[in-house]
Amino acid sequence: MFLPNNPLVVLSLIVFLPAAGALAICLLPRGRTEMAKLSAFCVTVAVFLLTVWLAIPGTSNAESMRFAMGTGRMQHVFSVDWIPSFNIYYLLGVDGISLPLVVLTSFLSMLAMAASLKIDLHVKAYCVLFLLLETGMLGVFMALDFFLFYVFWEVMLLPMYFLIGVWGGPRREYAAIKFFLFTLVGSVLMLIAVLMLYFASDLRTLDTRQLVACHVREDALWQGKTVPGATAGSSGSAENTVGQANRGIRAIVLSDQPLHTFNIMALAEMGQLRRSPFDAKLLWGKSIQWWAFLLLLIGFLVKVPAVPIHTWLPDAHVEAPTPISMILAGVLLKMGGYGILRICYPICPDAAYELAWFVCGVGTLSMVYGAFAAMAQKDFKRLVAYSSVSHMGYVVLGLGVWSITAGNLMSTDYWNLGMNGAMFQMIAHGISSAGMFFLVGVVYDRVHHRDLDRFGGLFAKMPVYSGISMGIFFAALGLPGLCGFIGEVLVVLSVWKYSMVLAVVAASVVILTAGYILWTIQRVYLGPEYKGPHGEALTRMTPREIAIAAPLLALAIILGVYPRALLDYTEPSVKHTVTSLATWMEDVKLPRLQAAVAAEDGKQP
Amino acid sequence: MNLATTLPLLLGLAWLLPLGSFAVIVLFGPRLGRRGVGAGYLATLAILAGFVLSAVATLGWLSEHPIAAAGHGEAHAAESIPPICGEWYTLAEFGSLRITIGYYIDSLTLVMFSMVTLVASCIHVYSFGYMREELGTVTDPMVTLADGRPLERRGRFCRFYQYLSLFSFSMLGLVVAGNIAMVFVFWELVGICSYLLIGFYIERKSASDAANKAFIVNRVGDFGMLVGLMVIWSTLGTFSFPEIFEQVRPAENHHSLVVPDGMVLAGVKAEVERIVLDAPGPTEAKAAIAANLPDWREQGHGRWLLILAGLGIFCGCVGKSAQFPLHVWLPDAMEGPTPVSALIHAATMVAAGVYLIGRFYPVFAPEVLVVIACVGAITLFMAATIAITATDIKRVLAYSTVSQLGYMTLSLGVGGWLAGLFHLITHAFFKSLLFLCSGSVIHACGTNEMPEMGGLRRKMPWTAYTMLTGALAISGAGIPLLYGLSGFHSKDSILAQAFSFKLENPSLGGVFFWTAASGAAITAFYMFRLWYMTFAGQPRNEHVARHAHESPWVMLGPLVVLAFFAVVAGWTLPVIGWGVPTVLEQARPAGTALGAAGRLVTVPAEHVSHLPPSIHIPVSFIAFLAALAGFVLATAFYGLRRLDPEDARRTFAPIDWFLRRKWLFDELYQAVFVRPVFWIARSVAAVDTRGIDGVADGLAWVTRQVARLDDLIDRVFVDGIVNGIARRTCRIGLGLRSLQTGNLRQYVMWVAVGTVALFVLISLVWDFAIAG
Repeated sequence: MFLPNNPLVVLSLIVFLPAAGALAICLLPRGRTEMAKLSAFCVTVAVFLLTVWLAIPGTSNAESMRFAMGTGRMQHVFSVDWIPSFNIYYLLGVDGISLPLVVLTSFLSMLAMAASLKIDLHVKAYCVLFLLLETGMLGVFMALDFFLFYVFWEVMLLPMYFLIGVWGGPRREYAAIKFFLFTLVGSVLMLIAVLMLYFASDLRTLDTRQLVACHVREDALWQGKTVPGATAGSSGSAENTVGQANRGIRAIVLSDQPLHTFNIMALAEMGQLRRSPFDAKLLWGKSIQWWAFLLLLIGFLVKVPAVPIHTWLPDAHVEAPTPISMILAGVLLKMGGYGILRICYPICPDAAYELAWFVCGVGTLSMVYGAFAAMAQKDFKRLVAYSSVSHMGYVVLGLGVWSITAGNLMSTDYWNLGMNGAMFQMIAHGISSAGMFFLVGVVYDRVHHRDLDRFGGLFAKMPVYSGISMGIFFAALGLPGLCGFIGEVLVVLSVWKYSMVLAVVAASVVILTAGYILWTIQRVYLGPEYKGPHGEALTRMTPREIAIAAPLLALAIILGVYPRALLDYTEPSVKHTVTSLATWMEDVKLPRLQAAVAAEDGKQP
Repeated sequence: MNLATTLPLLLGLAWLLPLGSFAVIVLFGPRLGRRGVGAGYLATLAILAGFVLSAVATLGWLSEHPIAAAGHGEAHAAESIPPICGEWYTLAEFGSLRITIGYYIDSLTLVMFSMVTLVASCIHVYSFGYMREELGTVTDPMVTLADGRPLERRGRFCRFYQYLSLFSFSMLGLVVAGNIAMVFVFWELVGICSYLLIGFYIERKSASDAANKAFIVNRVGDFGMLVGLMVIWSTLGTFSFPEIFEQVRPAENHHSLVVPDGMVLAGVKAEVERIVLDAPGPTEAKAAIAANLPDWREQGHGRWLLILAGLGIFCGCVGKSAQFPLHVWLPDAMEGPTPVSALIHAATMVAAGVYLIGRFYPVFAPEVLVVIACVGAITLFMAATIAITATDIKRVLAYSTVSQLGYMTLSLGVGGWLAGLFHLITHAFFKSLLFLCSGSVIHACGTNEMPEMGGLRRKMPWTAYTMLTGALAISGAGIPLLYGLSGFHSKDSILAQAFSFKLENPSLGGVFFWTAASGAAITAFYMFRLWYMTFAGQPRNEHVARHAHESPWVMLGPLVVLAFFAVVAGWTLPVIGWGVPTVLEQARPAGTALGAAGRLVTVPAEHVSHLPPSIHIPVSFIAFLAALAGFVLATAFYGLRRLDPEDARRTFAPIDWFLRRKWLFDELYQAVFVRPVFWIARSVAAVDTRGIDGVADGLAWVTRQVARLDDLIDRVFVDGIVNGIARRTCRIGLGLRSLQTGNLRQYVMWVAVGTVALFVLISLVWDFAIAG
C-alpha cells in the first residue's frame, strides 16, 4: 500500500478527508442524491481504512508511520503554524488513548453512513453535515493544541444540531436546542478554563527535555524576538528540534515576558511541576488549577453525560435519526471521557486529587441513577439512552479512582486498572450502544413505534435480528465473553482500593443492569406474538442491516474474548499517564501532605 | 505419563469440544442433517468425547497417585497431593495484577469433570427422545394466541442442543478454572445458559418470567461474589487459587489460617497513612510498617476483610446453589424442559456453588463456616417441608434439590469437606435420574400434576423401577454400618460430621444435627409420597392413564446408566481402594484436615467423625431410623392408604397453607424488593422529567421571558423614546412651520426679539457667574 510516510499528511488526511468529501458533495449537481450518499459512504470507508492502516503496525511499509506498541508517549506528532501570534498551532498526534477512539470513530461513522443510506430528505445536506461531523470528531481526538481541540469541539456541535433538528423525530427542535444549549454551556465553561490556563501558563518553567518531549515549537520560544545565533526556520520535525530547542532555551533566558502556550502536553508538564504556575490562588482560596479542573470537568461531564446534567441525552436520542443516535452514543459521549483523561487529570493533578471524591461520586451516581431510570422507561430508545448514562458512569468512576495514596502505600496498579477499564468501557460501550441504537432503528423502520409494551414475539418473526440483538444486549449487560464485561469488571475491581462504599454501590449496579436488560428482552423479543401495529411489516433483516449489525457483534465478541487487542494499545499510554501522576504524587504532593501533617503536629502540642 | 502436561491437554480438549460444537451449531444449525437433527449428534458426540477424555485423565491420575491406604478412616496419614496449576491465556495485565484463564487440576477437578461429562452425556442422549417433537412443527397447548388458537411454531431442536453445548462448555470451564475470576466468568456463563434454557419455551410468559427471575436472583448472589472478588483483588493482588491459598495458609505456618499482610494493611489504612506521612522517606516508612505488622495482625486488624471475602464468595454460592434466602428461583426454573432441569438444575450448575465452597475452602474462617452451616441447615429444612405439599412432580424434585444442596452446604459448614463434596457427586447421579424419570412420566402423561397420575408402574415399568432406585438412593437406603445405595454413604458421612460438630458445640451443633436428621425423615417421606402418587395405586385420571406409555429406549438407556451409578457411586472398590471419597480425599486442601477453632465455634476435624464406636454407630442408626420413619409414614398415607392425607391437611390447616405458599418468600420479596425497586425507578424517571428537565425547561422559560421583557423594553422604552423624540421633533417642526410666513417684517421682528432675549440671557448668566 503506497501511502506517504509523513505524519502531517496522514493525520491531516484522516481529519480533513471527510471535510473535503463534504465540499465535493456540495459541488455535486442537484438531484444526484444516490451519488451523494455513495460518495459520502466511500469517504467514510476510506477514512476507516486509513485509521486501520495507522493503527495496525504491520500494515505500514513506511517505518516512520509505524505505530509503536508498548510505548506510552505521543506518536506521529507534528506542529504547523496556525495563529502564531497567539501561540496557536495546528498540532496533531496520537497515542494509545486516542488511537482506539479514532478507529472507533471512523468505524462507527462508516457503519452509521451505511445505516444512513435510507435517508431521503435533503440528502446532500445530510451527507455534508455528516462528513463535517466526522471531521470534528476525529479532530477532537487527535488535536494536541488546546485551542485547536476547542475549535474541533465546536465544529462538531453545529452539524449535530442540524442533524437532529432537521432529520429528527416529532420533537426534534426541542431536542436539538436542548442538546445545543447543554453542550454550549459546557463549551463556554471549557473556554473559560482554556483561557485561564493559557494566561497562567509559562513555557519558561519547563526545561529543555520537557520542551522537546512536549513538541514545543522552537519559534514559539522566542516569539519573534531576535535571538543571537538563531536562524528563523520553521521546520517542526522532531529530529532537529533538540538543537532548535537549545537555541530556544537561550530565548527563554532572555525573555522577560511569560511565554503562554496552548500545547496540551506542555500544559500537563507545567501542571505537574513542583512549583506549578497553575498553583496561584484565584478565587475563594482555590487555585487556578482547581477552578480550571472544575470548569473543564463540568464541560466534559455534560458530554459524558453525567447525572444531573444528562437530560439532554434521552431527548436527543429519541428524536435523532438512527445513524445519528449511533454516532451520538458511540462517539460523542466518549469525547467527555477522553477529555477528562487527556486534559483534566494531567494538567490539574492537585485539583484532581482534591476532587477525586467528586468525580467518583458523580460516576457512581450516574451508574445507579441511569440504571434505575432505564428500568422505568416505556420508550425503547429512551431506555437505551439511559443505559448509556449508566454505562458511561463506569467510565467516570474508573477514571476517578485515585488510589495512589499514602494509605495504599502509593500503589499505582489499581488506578491503572481503573483507567484502562474506563478506556475499555468507552470502546465497549461505543460498540454495544451503537449496536443497540441501530437495532432499535431496524425495528422502528418497520413498525414506526418504540413503545416497549407493544412489542413481543419478534424472535419468531425475525430470528436473525433477534439473535444479533440478544448478543448485543448481553454485551451491554456485561456478560463474560462479550466486551461489556471486561470494561465493567476492570472498573469495578479498581474501586475497592479507593473507597469501599463506592465499590459496593458500583457492584450492586450489576443487578439493576440485568433487571432492565432482561426485562426489555422479554418485552420485545419473547412472547407468543407481536402486540403492536404494522405486524405484517416485521420482515427479516435485510443483508444491508446484517452487514451493519454483524460487525458490531463480532467486535463485541472479539474484544470480550481477546481484550488485549485493545488493552495492548491503551495500557502503555494509560500507564504513562498514571506513572507521571504517581511521580507527581510522590515528588510534589506527598511532601506537601507531610508538611501539612508536620504543621498540624507542631500546632497541637 | 507426565500428568503436568497431559492433564491440562486432556481436560482442555474436553472443555473446548462443546464450545466447538456450539459454534458449529450457531453457524450451521438448521442445515445439519434433516431439520437440524445433526446438531444433536454433534453435541452428543462432543460431550461423549469429553467424557472419554475425562475418564482417561482420571485413570491417568489414579495410576500416578494410587489411593494411599484402602478403607476409610485410616487414610489420613496421606499428604494431600499438590494440584497441577498453570495458565493457558492472559486476559489482561496491569503491572503486577494479572487476569488469566488457567487451570487448577486435582482429584476434585477430575471427579467433577467425569461426573459432569457423564451426566451430561446421558442427558444429551435422553433429549433425543424427549425433545423429538421439536424436530417438526410444535403445537404448544400452554400458549393461546389472541384469536384463541393454541400456538403453532417451528421446532427448535438445534437451538436446544446449541444451548446444551454452550452450557457444557461453561460448566467445565467453571470446574477447571485456575483462578476465582475465571470461576466468575464461567459462573456468569452457566447463568446465562440457565436463563436461555429455562426460557426455552420463549412464548410462555411463565417461562420467560422464570428465566428472568433465575438470572436476576443469581445476580444478587453475584453482587456479593463481586464484593468478595474486590476484597481479594485489592488486598491480595491476585485471583489465582494457589497464590490465594498460599497467602491465607502459608506453608511455613503449617497451612493454618492467618490474615494475609495485604488484608492487615488494608485494615489499618489510617495508621499506614500516618506512618507514611510521618516518616522521613519511603524506606523508613516500609520498615516501620513491617515492624508494626505482627502487632496489627495480633490485634485482629483486617480479619473482618478475610471474613468479608469469604462471605462474599459464599454469597455467590448461595445464589447459584439456591440456598436460603436466594432459593426462590430454582422451583420456578422448572419451566424449562425436563432434561435441562436434570442437567442444570439438579446435577451440575446448582452444585457449582457447593463445588466453589469446597474449592475455596482454605479461605473460609470459622466465622464464615458457621454462617455457611446455618444457611445450609435452614435451607435443608425449609425446602424439605415445602416438598411435602407440592403436587407438581418437578417442583417436588426441585425442592428436594434445594434441600439436598442444603445438606451439602451444612456439611461443608460444619467441617465436612469430604462429606459435602461426596454428597454432591452422589446427588448428581440420583437426582438427575429422578428428574429424567419424571421427564419420562411427563412425556407419557402430558402433565406435571401428580394428582392426575397414579398406577403408572404397570404402563411404564422401567421408568417406575429406575425411579424407585433413585428414591431409595436419595432416602439413604442401606444396611446400617455396611453397604447401601450411594445416598446412604454420603448422607451418613454428613450426619456423622454434624454429630461430631455437636460434640464440640452442643447447642448449635444439636440444632444442626437434629435438623439434618429430621430432614432425612422428611426426604424419605416426600420421595415415597411422590413415587406412590405417581406409580402406585389406581389411575386417577383415565385420560392420562390411557395415553401413558413406556418411553423409547433412547430415553430409558440413560435412566439405566444413571440408576447404576445411583446405586454404586458411594462404593469403594475393595482392593485398589478406588471410590469417590477416597479419590476426593487426595484433593483435600492443605491445612483443612485438622479442623479449626474460632471465637464462636470449634469446627472438628473430619476424620474424627469416621471413628466407629462413639460417632459412627449411633449416627448410622439414627439416619436409618429417620429414613425408615419417613418411608413408613409415606407408605401409610399414600401406599397402603391407611391414613388419609386430606385428614392430615385439615388438622394442620395453617401449616399446610404456609407450606403451600412456600413460606411466603415470593410474596415477601415482591413486597420488600421488587415493588420498591420499580417505585424507585419510576421516581428516578420522574425526577428526570419533572425535576431536572423542569429546572432546565424552567431556565429556558425564564430566559424566554427575559427575552420578551427585553423585547418589551426595546419596544416601549427604547423605541418609545427614540420614536417619541422623532415624533416630537416632527411635531415641533410642524409647529415651527407656521412661523415661516414669508413676511419680511415679521422675520426682522423675530431677529430683534431674539437678539434682545439672548442679551438678557447672557447678562443674567454673566451676573450669576460673577456673583458665583
